[in-house]
Amino acid sequence: MFGFLSVLLRGATLTFQTLTVGGILFLVLVLRSAASEAGDTKISCLRWTRRFALALVVAQSFYLLATALILMQSAEIGLADVIGANFVFAGALGIAGSLTIGILSGFGQNGSERALLLPAAAIIASSVLTSHAMARLEYRFPLALVTALHQLATAAWLGGLPFLLMAIRCASAPEFVRRLSVRFSQLALVSVAVLASGGVILSFAYVGSVSAIYGTSYGAMVATKAILFALLLSLGALNFQLVRWGGTSSILGSLRRFGEAEIGIGITVILSAASLTSLPPAVDLVQDRVSAPEIYARMTPRSPRLSSPAMKDLPEDVYAAQRKAFEMSSLSSESYVPGQSGTRPNTPAEKAWSEYNHHWAGLIVLFIGLFALLAQVGKISLARNWPLLFLGLSAFLFLRSDPEVWPLGPNGFWVTFADPEVLLHRIFAALVIALAVFEWRVQTGRAASPNIRLAFPVLIAVSGALLLTHSHSLGNIKEEVLAELSHIPLAILAVMAGWSRWLELRLPEENHRRVWLARLWPVCISLIGIFLLNYREM
Amino acid sequence: MSPGRRVRTASLFFFLMVFFLGATSGFAHAVLVESSPPLKSSVTGPDVPLKLRFNVRIDAARSRLTLLQPDGSSQTLELDKQDPPNSISAEAKGLHPGVYRLRWQVLASDGHISRGEIPFTVVKR
Repeated sequence: MFGFLSVLLRGATLTFQTLTVGGILFLVLVLRSAASEAGDTKISCLRWTRRFALALVVAQSFYLLATALILMQSAEIGLADVIGANFVFAGALGIAGSLTIGILSGFGQNGSERALLLPAAAIIASSVLTSHAMARLEYRFPLALVTALHQLATAAWLGGLPFLLMAIRCASAPEFVRRLSVRFSQLALVSVAVLASGGVILSFAYVGSVSAIYGTSYGAMVATKAILFALLLSLGALNFQLVRWGGTSSILGSLRRFGEAEIGIGITVILSAASLTSLPPAVDLVQDRVSAPEIYARMTPRSPRLSSPAMKDLPEDVYAAQRKAFEMSSLSSESYVPGQSGTRPNTPAEKAWSEYNHHWAGLIVLFIGLFALLAQVGKISLARNWPLLFLGLSAFLFLRSDPEVWPLGPNGFWVTFADPEVLLHRIFAALVIALAVFEWRVQTGRAASPNIRLAFPVLIAVSGALLLTHSHSLGNIKEEVLAELSHIPLAILAVMAGWSRWLELRLPEENHRRVWLARLWPVCISLIGIFLLNYREM
Repeated sequence: MSPGRRVRTASLFFFLMVFFLGATSGFAHAVLVESSPPLKSSVTGPDVPLKLRFNVRIDAARSRLTLLQPDGSSQTLELDKQDPPNSISAEAKGLHPGVYRLRWQVLASDGHISRGEIPFTVVKR
């Protein structure tokens, strides 16, 4: 319970850190250049920076408290000992920095925004103090410096974007907006260069070799981050084109919409980075890496499994089997975190069950993508009912995802709430129903509110990001790495589908890119179906 | 929708996404790289030096080693002075022949603990 709370609070801390530091950099580096015209915009930016900073104080304080309680409870360490730990010092530094920003930004236009830079640096330092870099034995300080620059560049670019969108909304003169956008573009370009070079240096230090990129979870996640970063760059390039060569009056609408997609994909990148920090660096895990021939053997296309193994072939009670595996010390050679229940290799029948599930789900998703494409390209009205196929997918997931639990298995309905994995599957099944209803109403013209149209792209993009941020084992378990390699393309395609649909809906009518975006997302969904059809566990 | 309301909505969305998605992420934990005695090895008693090396720096003052005896009882071991910073060591004295388990628990610099167990057998000299 406390562990779950701790990671929730850490997520909130990361969010507000990016937004607070991003806001300050925007004020100092972008808005300051247009001080005479920036009156209302500056007040608005300062107000939001203060709110984000105070939210960071709350999130960081609760995070510290939760971590200290976890330590005291699970490791039986006294309060006096906990107070002296490194993470407490780091947390206190972050709280002091954000509290100072909260107070100083309250002075409004009378205060100097440059005074906010020092506490912003304290926030970044607090984050770096608990990073991989500070825990390394070699090149500790150079790596800490690169990590700090990496986080600073993320804040300047992704944390500054909401403030740019806010400024665009507040500003009345198009020429002022254009100047702000050009200035932000320059800042974003520098940030991208720092981010990319920092990423390369950190990859050399933490991944170390090509075989570690595909052979470990850490390497695969770094590669995913690089792909998402490339996606962000292409959106940034479109923005850059608009700002440089677009007409002043026509850029605003498109700029805002591309900015929204950039923020969304940016959050996904930040979260995949957060997922990376939960893993030991690939250079530390040299044993049991997955080899290229093993990946080739697993990924080679084969005909899908469309007939299910019998229920009687599955373990009678998976919870008992899991407990037994733990008691037999199957974990003794691994490092694990408190509360982790251990890994039990799936039986062949369980693997076949899972493959069958993935393949039928893939078939349904493939049809969803193809019908959506038909509806978009062919304007066939019957094909517009494609969201109803999601209802079939939901029923299938509900019945088949967890055969050990009601309605198929011996464990009752209430076990759903005790097992986080089962609960997540059930929530997904409910979300898919919501998706079907919302999108069917949109496609058939029944949705009254234009905002309802955004439910589909948001849910698809969130699902993609969720796939990238699931929990990992501390060890280098081959089956887990192989499963991860199968899921990464699905996640990237889902992120692309979600945000291309978002842009298709949000871009102004006159932006001709809407046409190919309208084709892109159904293609991505079809590809998700094809990848699912080739999913293998053995 | 007013600019302020729009920003509030966007911030809420931004927060919810990170909050919701951050729920499954964690932070760096130490992983055991090497141990003496090695996993499932045999060593001669009665005094057995124990040394564990991790992939990252360890807060030794807040870490511990516990030895589970063949009869099921446990003994918390006193840690030696830490050197290098990614390792912890101790000495188990007066061990009789039998199967032992060395339980370790370490605190990494970010405040997160990880645990593990090393079974080994003590044989007569």
